[in-house]
Amino acid sequence: MSAPAPPAHADPRLASVMAARPAGLTDDSEGMAYLERLPRRLVTTYLPLLIILAVLLFPFYWMALTAIKPDEQLIDMEHYNPFWVVEPTFKHINKLLFETQYPRWLWNTMYVSVAATLLSLFASVLAAYACVRVRFNGAGWVGAAIFLAYLVPPSILFIPLATIIQAYGLFDSPIALILAYPTILIPFSTWLLMGYFKTIPYELEECALMDGASRWQILTKIILPLAFPGLISAGIFSLTLCWNEFIYALTFLSSTQNKTVPIAVVSEFVDGDVYKWGSLMAGALLGSLPLVILYSFFVEYYVSALTGAVKE
Amino acid sequence: MAHTALTQPAPLAVPTRSAWHRLRASRGWAGFWFMLPTALILGLFLAYPLLKGIWLSFTNTRIGREGTFIGLENYAWLWDDDVFWLSVFNTCLYTAVASVVKFAVGLYLALLLNKNMPFKSIVRSIVLIPFVVPTVLSAIAFWWIFDSQFSIISWSLRHLGIIDGNIDFLGEPSMARACVIFANIWRGVPFIAITLLAGLQTVSPSLYEAATLDGASNWQIFSRITLPLLTPIIAVVMTFSVLFTFTDFQLIWAMTRGGPVNATHLMATLSYQRGILSGTLGEGAAIATAMVPFLLAAIGISWFGLQRRAWQSGGTDR
Amino acid sequence: MPKLDRRSLLAGAAATGLAAGADLLGFARAWAQTAEWKPEPGASLSVLRWKRFIPSEDEAFLRMVDAFTKATGVKVSVTNESFDDIQPKASVAANTGQGPDMVWGLFSFPALFPDKCLPLEDVAESLAKKYGPWFPSAEAYGKVKGKWIAIPVGFNGGYPNYRISAMQKAGFSKFPEDTAGFLELCRALKKNNTPAGFALGHATGDANTWCHWALWSHGGNLVDANEKIVINSPETAKALEYVKSMYETFVPGTVSWNDSSNNKAFLAGDLYLTHNGISIYAAAKKDNPKLAEDMDHAVWPIGPAGKPTEFQLAFPILAFKYSKAPNACKAFIAFMMEASNYGPWIEGAQGYLCEPLSNYPKNPIWTSDPKNAVFAEAGRRSLAAGGQAPVSERIAAVLADFVVVDMFASHCTGREDVKTAIRNAERAAQRIFRNT
Repeated sequence: MSAPAPPAHADPRLASVMAARPAGLTDDSEGMAYLERLPRRLVTTYLPLLIILAVLLFPFYWMALTAIKPDEQLIDMEHYNPFWVVEPTFKHINKLLFETQYPRWLWNTMYVSVAATLLSLFASVLAAYACVRVRFNGAGWVGAAIFLAYLVPPSILFIPLATIIQAYGLFDSPIALILAYPTILIPFSTWLLMGYFKTIPYELEECALMDGASRWQILTKIILPLAFPGLISAGIFSLTLCWNEFIYALTFLSSTQNKTVPIAVVSEFVDGDVYKWGSLMAGALLGSLPLVILYSFFVEYYVSALTGAVKE
Repeated sequence: MAHTALTQPAPLAVPTRSAWHRLRASRGWAGFWFMLPTALILGLFLAYPLLKGIWLSFTNTRIGREGTFIGLENYAWLWDDDVFWLSVFNTCLYTAVASVVKFAVGLYLALLLNKNMPFKSIVRSIVLIPFVVPTVLSAIAFWWIFDSQFSIISWSLRHLGIIDGNIDFLGEPSMARACVIFANIWRGVPFIAITLLAGLQTVSPSLYEAATLDGASNWQIFSRITLPLLTPIIAVVMTFSVLFTFTDFQLIWAMTRGGPVNATHLMATLSYQRGILSGTLGEGAAIATAMVPFLLAAIGISWFGLQRRAWQSGGTDR
Repeated sequence: MPKLDRRSLLAGAAATGLAAGADLLGFARAWAQTAEWKPEPGASLSVLRWKRFIPSEDEAFLRMVDAFTKATGVKVSVTNESFDDIQPKASVAANTGQGPDMVWGLFSFPALFPDKCLPLEDVAESLAKKYGPWFPSAEAYGKVKGKWIAIPVGFNGGYPNYRISAMQKAGFSKFPEDTAGFLELCRALKKNNTPAGFALGHATGDANTWCHWALWSHGGNLVDANEKIVINSPETAKALEYVKSMYETFVPGTVSWNDSSNNKAFLAGDLYLTHNGISIYAAAKKDNPKLAEDMDHAVWPIGPAGKPTEFQLAFPILAFKYSKAPNACKAFIAFMMEASNYGPWIEGAQGYLCEPLSNYPKNPIWTSDPKNAVFAEAGRRSLAAGGQAPVSERIAAVLADFVVVDMFASHCTGREDVKTAIRNAERAAQRIFRNT
């Protein structure tokens, strides 16, 4: 098995380290952190961190501010301090929710993302399991091929894919996206899950085999429950990618009611040559919220899953 | 791609002594069934379009009309098309600068986050936000931040007395490039930082303690322990990063649409402009196909990184 | 947007009084009795249109759609799409034979697939008889190779918008009528720190139209009547130098402008002369009456070419051959163009749309406010997208690729000298016009 499937290496040093520790996230600090005094830490750690966080967060502050700013304050920077808002208005948000099809777009995005994620998880679990445990002839090569598929970006594929989608009669249908997105999701999910599956001891499986369990039973009853954190993070990652996807949705969808949030926001808040900045920003903000909330719950899972995949 | 290997039928399973043996015999088929969904999806929606795209690039297909084979004509036209070469230059510049800075800042941020501090997990969630928020939505925010008349940056600098007039962020070619690169870095740093953080967590604290006891300096610890142990994950994450930066579309599309005067047109946006908006699918496909060699190079580099990793761990795997 | 439409429809009806609605319906019923085209029984239509610029236009349009449905029983569903996206979407529909029955879009898009368009000879002739003749530019958009494949519903005038006080301070009592005076005005405005600005970014509407004006007004052309590429001419060089001198007087940032940028800057009082449709004025009247008071519009100055060389947005509507209800399509198009419908609709557009036929009854929108009057001229004064060349998919690609805009912009920013800029535009044109 000489195929260089990316995660298929085991660095003995890493492996030994990992074996000593659970896959979950532990709060480890660098060894000599206790040597640092507070003022020093302030300058070397907190200050840079604060600056980076400020830069990372500023656009969101700006979005939120614009979303509740009355229009006249938006373009009048002489009388109003642009960093703040007087008499905030919910007009834009109200308009967004009740006078456009925003809820519908949000629903489309969720529907497409969840469906594509489930489909990819299903395929990835099977593929990862097959590559790691079934170990058919050429499993290593197949694993590598799947990984390579991750390196084929949508910007190369959208033109031919558009002609194919048309030929399949899927144009302007969410199904087109549900089928196209897994091409982006499966490779990464498979890679992540392969890492997870490898950590599950062989013995468990062999015992089950001896007891006459089928492959399918082993997968669903033993492997999947153990790999649950991996599934979650692959799922979250996939959901993010779907939510974020732009070029396929831009090319394959056409009618207003079928659009996803990213596409709708850029096209629907423009009346010819008038940009509705308030609603645009409110739409951008609301469109990001579900994911932000999801992540704030699962970030630790995510890091630990990556750790799991990385340590392989 | 590689499903030829899958379809080799395994020798018919004869009832044998042990379950393990039976299993070995049926492996080929089991593998085939397990791989089927993935193979179908990747085959129909990835491999086939990839080949079809290459084929389209040799035709004069337009939207709404079948094309005929015209050989290398599309490429010949691109070959001395200044806008195309400008987009190649832009793409390379964009990728190189953004990737290097993203890596540097990402690694730095990962090291910061790996330190012990209060509210660690909240800080981590916050860091991830730019990665989580759909690119195009944050790109719109940046577009508004970099507006030529109502930029908050111009306003602040003006009020601090640093500049007199507004900065023409997206109207001046090199400024516009800097702005889109900044937005890309902003968006890319969190993913790199969090992934490298995951890598850092696999490094045993005992290694650091041992090194500290041996009197190693911070820099030595970083360059002799942290970096080598991180190399494999760096190779993977940077391959992703380079690749996605190279093929970026939505950030540019939302912020500049390739302007001013094509100064920020990337190959992907030019391909959309020519293929979809102007309707010349063949030419658009040719531009997209022209990205392939660059991507292969990126993959090659990543391959090299992984080989090195195998070599580091002292031999072939398994 | 069915939900929104219903609501705004009701609001609109309430605003103009229900009586108007009843009139419209009465007319629609009477019209349906005598119409030349009887919709297929049980027919329903879907229309894809460009996304409105002014809400009241959309409301008037939907009122009309509603009356049509009530009078004929034909359900009509309307979807909106920003006008950059209409062309690709229509192309795909033409290609796959599925999609909207009718598409109302921009410029020359029907010429991309003339074989897929329902011939509209009869509708065009009937309209010409009633309200005609068609303006030459309208005919150029509707007819491909001598056959009517689309009905040019209207034009959108884009004209210089200026602040009266700034112009007077610059020493002009009235807006200059020739290109030399126009440049003088820009220079004087710059000197007074009340600068002008014209979009040189990839702005489908603003940039394409004014750049073509600049080229044509100096006698330059991308292609001639036989689609021979003639951009490499001394006239083009003059146009480039002219625009460069104009550019030197502009506010910073015009190279990155899209269609919305000048609206924003003008309304904020940072811009004193620009090129736009009536949307700035409409917004100013609503939110900033003082500014509206101080602004006015003018026709494009005439250059060395010696005649009006404006380029205005045209909005043709087409019906696809694959539609199951071709008669309903024709009836719908004819119905919208009936003076009793068209008039109130154009009025609802507040000057945003103007007539493609020369003898419609005078619309009050053009006389109620003298500042609107200029926009009534768009159909009459505009040239078609190709200049001298016939409207075709190639011309559509020239516009979509911003060949002319980029030529000017790259020279203005100093990235390319006159020769290089022209050569690159020539090459782009050769690329688009090859295999003719």
